[in-house]
Amino acid sequence: MQSKRLGWILLAPTLVILFFFGVLPFIYVVYVSFHSWNPFAVNPEMVFNGADNFRKIVFDSAFLNSVGVTVMFVFFAVLSELIIGYFLAQAFMRDFPGKAIFRTIHTLPLIMAPIIVGSVWKLMTTPSIGIIPHYLDEWFGISMNIGTSAPAAFATIVIMDIWHWTPLVTLTLIAALVSLPQDPFEQAQIDGAGKRQIFWHITLPMIAPAVVATVFIRLMDALRTVDEVWMLTGGGPGSATRFVGVHIFKEVFPKTNYGYGSTISVIVLYLTIVSCWLLYVTMLAPRSKKD
Amino acid sequence: MANVTIDKVIKRYGAAQVMHGVSVDIEDGEFVVLVGPSGCGKSTLLRMLAGLEEISDGTISIGGRVVNDVLPKERDIAMVFQSYALYPHKTVYDNIGFPLLMAKRSKAEIAEKVKGAAEILDLTKYLDRYPKELSGGQRQRVAMGRAIVRDPQVFLFDEPLSNLDAKLRVTMRIEIKELHQRLGTTIVYVTHDQVEAMTMADKIVVMRDGRVEQIGSPLDLYDNPVNTFVAGFIGSPSMNFVHGKIASDGSSRVFQSDSGLKLPLPQTTAAEGQAVTYGVRPECVRIGEGGVEMEIVAVEPTGSETQIFARSGSDLIDALVKERISARPGSKLGFVIDPEDVHLFDRKTGQHI
Repeated sequence: MQSKRLGWILLAPTLVILFFFGVLPFIYVVYVSFHSWNPFAVNPEMVFNGADNFRKIVFDSAFLNSVGVTVMFVFFAVLSELIIGYFLAQAFMRDFPGKAIFRTIHTLPLIMAPIIVGSVWKLMTTPSIGIIPHYLDEWFGISMNIGTSAPAAFATIVIMDIWHWTPLVTLTLIAALVSLPQDPFEQAQIDGAGKRQIFWHITLPMIAPAVVATVFIRLMDALRTVDEVWMLTGGGPGSATRFVGVHIFKEVFPKTNYGYGSTISVIVLYLTIVSCWLLYVTMLAPRSKKD
Repeated sequence: MANVTIDKVIKRYGAAQVMHGVSVDIEDGEFVVLVGPSGCGKSTLLRMLAGLEEISDGTISIGGRVVNDVLPKERDIAMVFQSYALYPHKTVYDNIGFPLLMAKRSKAEIAEKVKGAAEILDLTKYLDRYPKELSGGQRQRVAMGRAIVRDPQVFLFDEPLSNLDAKLRVTMRIEIKELHQRLGTTIVYVTHDQVEAMTMADKIVVMRDGRVEQIGSPLDLYDNPVNTFVAGFIGSPSMNFVHGKIASDGSSRVFQSDSGLKLPLPQTTAAEGQAVTYGVRPECVRIGEGGVEMEIVAVEPTGSETQIFARSGSDLIDALVKERISARPGSKLGFVIDPEDVHLFDRKTGQHI
């Protein structure tokens, strides 16, 4: 009994913080999502409007567009991060001159705040002063303007995300690769497997739990990307990079449409949970018997 | 099936040379055991045979083909690791069938061969299980199953029994031997356990520090060890060694130990006064009248036989006798040694005289 009570006492601060900063705001957001509320309007009162917000969201083309853009972004960014991260991890498993320095430099983007990353990339991509449009023009004769070209803006954001978050994938995959036993790989060579077969039959299944965990983290992060995009393109041009996070931000802050913004947040949370659950069911659950 | 030739093989790691010109000829269908203490290079040699380690110098050929630069998967060999190296995410069926899948065999053929191997190894009930759901002995058998479905030219075993308990080890030893008789495939087997080597091998290769000390049949090594290392390594309990010199005892010559113990000598070319190491196996020491009087240190009965440790001065002798002995430590007994059973070694070089 004594140790149980001590356990709760030690947990208490975390639970209190979690309650006030996690659970309570969440309940409040759900509560607000059933209201029409614009505190800066002529009528600042919170008015209960039932499921109106939710009904509206289904036909809100701006919102649906933002979901589409986000899904595309997450797909391209996370997939590229996984592939590049895996190759980097494999490279770091070998010895080469300058490995320690290169590994340190390669993780630097991770420690930068997203808002800083956004500003730096904005500086680098702004036409006339940015280094990227400058050399694209000088070397390849391509003119790039993320302020006017939707594909350029979208691609830049995907590349920026890859630059920012691939090191995280690399680090988790290195950890997974390092912990693998060597014998099955040697056995596979003797059993007649080539490099590609070893990857598909041995390496990938054995690091799959780490891969799925990494995808979880990156998926949840990428689905709520706001600051970098806000800084770099502000969601534009048009709505080309208006991800759901940006969409919610625009709905709540410039428009001060708190009720509807909360509804979108609840739906996005729901979609995030569903996609993670799908990932879990398809990739991890069938394995649990083996591990 | 194939013969294997290891010719003057050298292995270097950077500047350090760990194998110094090892040569072994293995006949087709032979069961060869590489044995030696840890660090003697036996596993490295096996891994070079498998293609998992590069050969710094010399050649290895399998079935007449030099395989120095041939990838493991093209050597047509199968290997069983000490850890079994099962694929943890694959079922027993998929583990055993993996080499066939890699060889792009048809599903029907894989099913037939896997089932055949499972029957031989008594694994039929476990085909749907994952490795973590199996006992050590079953995992061991899965690893062997994966080796036999390939029908390779050579089987390589790297201490396959050392993770098993003593009883299971004996069972598996017999199973592997049976398997060899049934398949008739060449086997190269690495172990540090001389009992395994003695009981299983057609031919034993004793190694030390990256060199071959002696090659021969188990009984040949037991009867005619070339030096003190092989003499001490082969046989259990290991051979008694007493250091001393050849002395004269009136008309005849005897062995006299450093502490003065006198023991009978066989016919020998060793000269009087020559420093020698006197070797006699415990099972060749008998108890009887007219033997050398020694003080009993300990008596260890095992039921079937009795092991007696006796001392004279600083010399210790270990005897293994069939009789049950009731002598107590501290009392004296006479020990008889037949000169025919004695091995004499040069004290400096350790070579058999």
